[in-house]
Amino acid sequence: MALLECRGLGKDYGALCAVEAFDLDVEEGEVFGLLGPNGAGKTTTISMMCGVVTPSRGSVRVAGHDLARDSFAARRAIGLVPQDLALYEDLSARQNLRFFGGIYGLRAGELAARIDWALSLAGLVDRSTEPVRRFSGGMKRRLNLAAGLLHRPRLVIVDEPTVGVDLQSRNHIFATIRALCADHGMSVLNTSHYMEEVELLCQRVAIMDRGREVARDSVDGLIGRHGGGSLEVEFRGEPARVASALGALGGVALEEQGAAGGRVRLREKEPVKPGAVVRAVEAAGGEVESLRASKPSLETVFLALTGHSLRDDEA
Amino acid sequence: MIVAAIRKEAQVLLRDRSALTSLFVLPIVFMAVFGSIFSGDGGAAKPRLVAVVRGQGDARAAAAVNAIATSGLFRVREEVSRARVEELVADEDVAAGLVFPPGFDPMAGVPAELIIDLGASPVVRGPLQGALAGLIGRSMFGAAAPDVLVARSPHGARPLAGATAFQLLIPGNAVLFGFFLALTVGISFVEERKTGTFRRLLAAPVSRPVLLLARLVPYYLVGLVQMSFLFGLGAVGFGLRVGGSLLAFALLTAVMVFAAVSLGLLIASFSGTERQVGAIGSVCLLLMGLLGGGMVPRPLMPHTMQTIGLFTPHAWALEGYYDILVRQGTGIGDVVREILVVAGFGIGFALIGSLRFRFER
Repeated sequence: MALLECRGLGKDYGALCAVEAFDLDVEEGEVFGLLGPNGAGKTTTISMMCGVVTPSRGSVRVAGHDLARDSFAARRAIGLVPQDLALYEDLSARQNLRFFGGIYGLRAGELAARIDWALSLAGLVDRSTEPVRRFSGGMKRRLNLAAGLLHRPRLVIVDEPTVGVDLQSRNHIFATIRALCADHGMSVLNTSHYMEEVELLCQRVAIMDRGREVARDSVDGLIGRHGGGSLEVEFRGEPARVASALGALGGVALEEQGAAGGRVRLREKEPVKPGAVVRAVEAAGGEVESLRASKPSLETVFLALTGHSLRDDEA
Repeated sequence: MIVAAIRKEAQVLLRDRSALTSLFVLPIVFMAVFGSIFSGDGGAAKPRLVAVVRGQGDARAAAAVNAIATSGLFRVREEVSRARVEELVADEDVAAGLVFPPGFDPMAGVPAELIIDLGASPVVRGPLQGALAGLIGRSMFGAAAPDVLVARSPHGARPLAGATAFQLLIPGNAVLFGFFLALTVGISFVEERKTGTFRRLLAAPVSRPVLLLARLVPYYLVGLVQMSFLFGLGAVGFGLRVGGSLLAFALLTAVMVFAAVSLGLLIASFSGTERQVGAIGSVCLLLMGLLGGGMVPRPLMPHTMQTIGLFTPHAWALEGYYDILVRQGTGIGDVVREILVVAGFGIGFALIGSLRFRFER
């Protein structure tokens, strides 16, 4: 039995469907990635999974507990790490942790031990008595993560854990997430719009776009199935003729076109040599101005599945 | 959960200097300033200064001036000309002026003239005019003047002997500033929503009503501390006494703080940002404080405004406090109506606020 099971989970806000019916299983000890651009519905989805938002349809089971019927038991098994830095800035790291631990019913010696453990995990033992407002963005992110772990949840849901952090803190957060699974047997559901983060951390990934799931598999499986590399070709010539000629080499998306040229993205079904591209463009009466290759990755998977890149959505 | 919230909120509040100032320092400053304005030294009213001009050898005028000077209500400043008296009144160096014409004899149609700013509020002018007219009238009967009026409290009023103006000023300020706790409560709700801590708490195994309580209870305790501090300081620093039952006083304070905290939830339920809490809350609280008699005693207001004031918890709380503070032996039974009405306001605010409040925007 999966640790987290979602069946047909969806949310409407009036006439707007924020999340369509969503199915998901997260296994014990797994890091699962929920990938998608801003506004894809990731935060709404995880909000339903941990009881912050009431779903319009579907069900959630956590560690065998139905979230609707046995809400407290289900929630006790979850540690939510929100995207916002959900901390009290005027309090110290230790005072913050004492409060959040107290909410989960931890008391006295057990609470003190858990706080020490969480501070150590966040690398903040030396700064534990300072007000959080004096912390750097990365330190706050680490404390934000630690505050969701005090009650030792079986499933940790982290929402965009590395937004706005420096490289050092990002690496620290990655190491912490890996340690949660490897050393403490926790499962992690990690939402992100950073492809590299998901590729580095997650065994499996679901890709969301505009409120619906567009693909789900292991990272390697997705790249293998959808993630052929791509070539970005800028050219002079008649866009329709050039695009048609390149179509023989792979999937073509005409991204930009003008009177005397344009830009085409060529998704490779099989590796394409640059010389073949140049010859195809010239055969269509055009001329290649620049050629840029992208390696197979979740970025190219996303592009292949949605027809647009994450950067387009962020812009 | 509640205990953790109380400890956390105490830690946050102790670091929030602006909240501490508005809850504890500002009311003291107001009490001191109001006290200085309305009560002079130790709450005893000072005799007002009156300028007088009269002809030499006029026995009736001399008797009238003597009656005024010995009344304890006024001090007399003799002047030599009408012009000088008018100048002193115009410059507000004296409260009023009296001009006794030669042959002063009201019975023969030769009255004295009262020089006073007729543009001044009747509330200020009326008592002065009435007191001077009474004193001059009595002086005309000499030593055989009969008592025209004897002042008595209504049956059962039991006024506290030796009560100073502070007996009324301190509860007025305490209620006014006690309700300003609603602003602090409202801002704390909105801040929690903005920083995302509510989101984290909503994911915890805690019900939403308990989450609301966990925010309200710490501020309820803060309100009790604030009111104890203000009335305690009033007792130690300004000689405030409780004429009635201490239990009635404690009960009224308990329901008043409850109403203030509930009002904070209601304000937060209508506000999305701290700025909105400040704008909506300040206007509401100032209006309620004004209409409820926290700034100007309600008996001095027109009848309509006094009636409108009854739609504020301030008015009922103050009615209760006045009864308990200035009436000897007031018990719970005497102020049960005031206590229930203030509690009713609190329940109403809490119900509407909790139904309307959204943890996330």
